[in-house]
Amino acid sequence: LQNPDIAITDNVLHFRAQGHGAKGDNIYEFQIEFLEPVEPKPVCRVTQRQLNITVQKKESNWWERLTKQEKRPLFLAPDFDRWLDESDAEMELKEKEEEKINKMKIESRVPKDPFKHLKKGYLIMYNLVQFLGFSWIFVNMTVRLFILGKDSFYDTFHTIADMMYFCQTLALMEVLNSLIGLVRSPLIPAVIQVLGRNFILFVILGSLEEMQSKAVVFFVFYFWSIIELFRYPYYMLSCIGIEWKPLTWLRYTSWIPLYPLGGLAEAVCLIQSIPIFSETGKFSLGLPNPLNVTIPFSFLLQIYLIALFLGIFVNFRYLYKQRKQHLGPKKRKMK
Amino acid sequence: VSYQVEILDWKTKEQLCFLDKVEPNATIREIRLMFHKLYPRWYPARQSIKLDPKGKSLRDEEILQHLPVGTTATLYFKDLGPQIGWTTVFLIEYTGPLFIYFLFYFRMPFVYGLDERFTSSPHPVVNLACICHSFHYIKRLIETIFVHRFSHGTMPLRNIVKNCLYYWGFAAWLAYYINHPLYTPPSYGKKQINFAVIMFLLCEAGNFSIHVALSDLRRDGSKTRKIPYPTKNPFTWLFFFVSCPNYTYEVGTWISFTIMTQCVPVGLFTLLCFIQMTIWAKDKHYTYLREFKDYPSLRMPIIPFLL
Repeated sequence: LQNPDIAITDNVLHFRAQGHGAKGDNIYEFQIEFLEPVEPKPVCRVTQRQLNITVQKKESNWWERLTKQEKRPLFLAPDFDRWLDESDAEMELKEKEEEKINKMKIESRVPKDPFKHLKKGYLIMYNLVQFLGFSWIFVNMTVRLFILGKDSFYDTFHTIADMMYFCQTLALMEVLNSLIGLVRSPLIPAVIQVLGRNFILFVILGSLEEMQSKAVVFFVFYFWSIIELFRYPYYMLSCIGIEWKPLTWLRYTSWIPLYPLGGLAEAVCLIQSIPIFSETGKFSLGLPNPLNVTIPFSFLLQIYLIALFLGIFVNFRYLYKQRKQHLGPKKRKMK
Repeated sequence: VSYQVEILDWKTKEQLCFLDKVEPNATIREIRLMFHKLYPRWYPARQSIKLDPKGKSLRDEEILQHLPVGTTATLYFKDLGPQIGWTTVFLIEYTGPLFIYFLFYFRMPFVYGLDERFTSSPHPVVNLACICHSFHYIKRLIETIFVHRFSHGTMPLRNIVKNCLYYWGFAAWLAYYINHPLYTPPSYGKKQINFAVIMFLLCEAGNFSIHVALSDLRRDGSKTRKIPYPTKNPFTWLFFFVSCPNYTYEVGTWISFTIMTQCVPVGLFTLLCFIQMTIWAKDKHYTYLREFKDYPSLRMPIIPFLL
């Protein structure tokens, strides 16, 4: 096939070319007048054995037949491989319309955010501060462990508590961030973790001198800080948009041993504190009182202990789901 | 023409019995008796006989030929477990709190310690509370024996353990605090107590009136449901506004007892009673609505205009 001359004028397709056929070299030409208006620019693709001309309808709808004339030209035959009957054509149209509508919806749902950079900056600062705080705690505790050995357990509270108070009070911001939608993570696991930890820190340890010199404080603080050592850097990087794969893996795997261990340490804390609350009657309502009821705090703590295990279980399931989301598909690719 | 009835186990579908030559006008009650003869341990009250394995149990009064079955009827049997009569249950449930309260009122030595044994409280409201509490449960016992007419004869045996734990446990808990040596009488003194007593008496009278009115609906011994209407007794006029005024009055009684004793455990018991009775009242209310097209539309389940 040589020198193809293809043009459309007034809805008529003119074709003219020189070809090498059975009867030698000849000039071939034909004309087709289309039933309804078409776009004047055809798209042509030439292969060894055939020439494809794609002509677009001006209006996408069903044509009763291809040509204006009623009789079909003898050389014209439908290619059933690409044939779309009326219902198929309608479906194609509908799908295209739906895609258009969906695109418009998605675009309208994401409004342009004027505060985006401010929010990012705040989140990075928050995560950085927490990371520094918990690093200080972790390094401090590790160094003291090496120097003093087991003895470091007993005055962990006196050296570390102030920084831990600061970090955990600041952690309330995480609940706020989730509440106002600054961060995409769900509210309830955040609330469970922050309130749970602060209860142990302020109510159980903070208010009882006797608890502060117990060895379990070391473990509670240590496990809390190790988990945070992975969590906050991961958040910082994801705010900037960087992903460091080893860190992601650590953040979504380290909780598997650490979270239950931390929970266990908290439970030991509670169990050790219950007799102290029983004896001293701290935070308990005793008789006589105008409500004529006694509310022993030790009883509430026992209920809380059960709630603690339930909360750990709920959070565990949530973290596991998250892990699968973030690490799962990649694992398949590596194999 | 006589019917043939086969009874299958609802779960395994194995044939448990085949009854030949059954009268077409036989009632389900008679079928239950025949089944009981073959299986002595499954007395009629334990038998749930149904047309469909997952359906509702057929009532005793249903007649075989009026059921949608052919001349060979297939019925399904489910064992409801050991049953206990409602009257028996109520008697046990209500006698417990009556006597348990006395253990605390008279300050048995194992309750408040040896030092306080058999002493009495300096506060008159404590005696009043004992009288009211006892009056309430004695009234309930009398109603169970003489007034109530139950539509279901029995309930499963395990219910009695659950119910007794609830009633007896709460009675002990609230009696402990009311009769405690360190009990604090109500903050507003005599005014509060007198108001509470009057409310208590009114609610008890109301509750009793409603029970009598409901019982009169079934004076002829029938077990069918009828719409209760207000009578000449002013206490029954609550029927204009509420489907289950007996529950309304009951909650009122317990609220008055809470005010009288100013005791949190009593308040908690009142709250739980309220929740439970609201559930029952709503149930009853919707059953009435479903069964009777002309059911008064002004009525709410338990609280006029609200709930």
